[in-house]
Amino acid sequence: MTDASPLAHPAVAMLARETRLHEGVTPREIGSVTVPPGRHWLHEDSFLLVTESGLRFFYRRSEGVTIERPNGPTDPAEEYLWLNGSIYAAIACINGLYPIHASAVACGGQVFAFTGPSGAGKSTLVAQLTRHELPMFCDDTLVLDLSQPGQALCLPGHKRLKLWPDAVEMTGARPAEQVMASVPKFYSEPAGGTVVDVLPLAELCFLEEGDTARIEPLHGGEKLVRLQDDHYTTDLIMAASRPDRIARFAQLANLARTIRLTRFVRPRDASRFAVDAALVERHVKAMARPVSEQAQ
Amino acid sequence: MTGILNKCPDRFVETEIDDEIVVMDLESGNFFSLKDTALDIWRLVDGTRSPADIAAELANDYDVAESELADDVAAFLDEALTAGLLEAR
Repeated sequence: MTDASPLAHPAVAMLARETRLHEGVTPREIGSVTVPPGRHWLHEDSFLLVTESGLRFFYRRSEGVTIERPNGPTDPAEEYLWLNGSIYAAIACINGLYPIHASAVACGGQVFAFTGPSGAGKSTLVAQLTRHELPMFCDDTLVLDLSQPGQALCLPGHKRLKLWPDAVEMTGARPAEQVMASVPKFYSEPAGGTVVDVLPLAELCFLEEGDTARIEPLHGGEKLVRLQDDHYTTDLIMAASRPDRIARFAQLANLARTIRLTRFVRPRDASRFAVDAALVERHVKAMARPVSEQAQ
Repeated sequence: MTGILNKCPDRFVETEIDDEIVVMDLESGNFFSLKDTALDIWRLVDGTRSPADIAAELANDYDVAESELADDVAAFLDEALTAGLLEAR
């Protein structure tokens, strides 16, 4: 009998182990670099992040995360954000995983992810799709395991869905608490629930702005260019693995051949949002069907 | 432009994605996406052909006059030579 728990997957178990948190004293520098407030540094198997508020986080492979809090009150909500954002992504990179800046839903045992810069509408679109029987897979960071050639496995989401007030209104989501006092976003429970299984990535869709709503496949060299154009995670990936150009090229090419890449172009018009999101919903549901059914 | 053309494999890596060859210049990191005629020219650069040979062979394959292709072939080869992906000897 096999263990169907996501934790049975070695990469998921590794992340659970490596992200364990304990309080302690963090080093002042890493790789001879002193990290000032508001900055982070990744060196070999270690990562040091210092926040403007004085929180210090230090990770070293196999030792977990050390948090050093400043004197005085600290905000647990801020700690949660850092631990599940940059620190989580850095730990993934240091341990050979491949995080991308994307939010995603699951359909038919596969993952459909949406990427774009901050403010592109990733979380809003996912919140809307979850209202139509497409459960959320992750928000903001999608961690891929590319260790098996020809396969991009998605590790289950670790973050709660965060929405701006206008996104809450557009999607009809039920807002929970505010993310933190200085961040006017709200946590929200996805209407369609969440998926916590390890699933293959079927499609990565780039969110773009344009006059008319449409979904277009990307092709050939454009795939490589777009995959290279990831956002905050790229610097971490490069710092962690320091791949030479040949290795990086091979990594991107493998990913480009493994998954379908598309762009979803639409006007940023709140009055059209539901109609345009429905286009994505239909696309996801159609692409998730077996190939034999898609042709019918 | 004359002489036999050859690729400079220490200057680039290439991979096939869909129906394109994507070449990356190892020095600059720039990508070159080759498809259609450019891809056919690239495949004919094998250390045995001159630009004229390539134009002639393509003209034969496409069933067009060599003069119709000469400018396109020369432009592509010039660009690839300038980028250091090819050498002429």
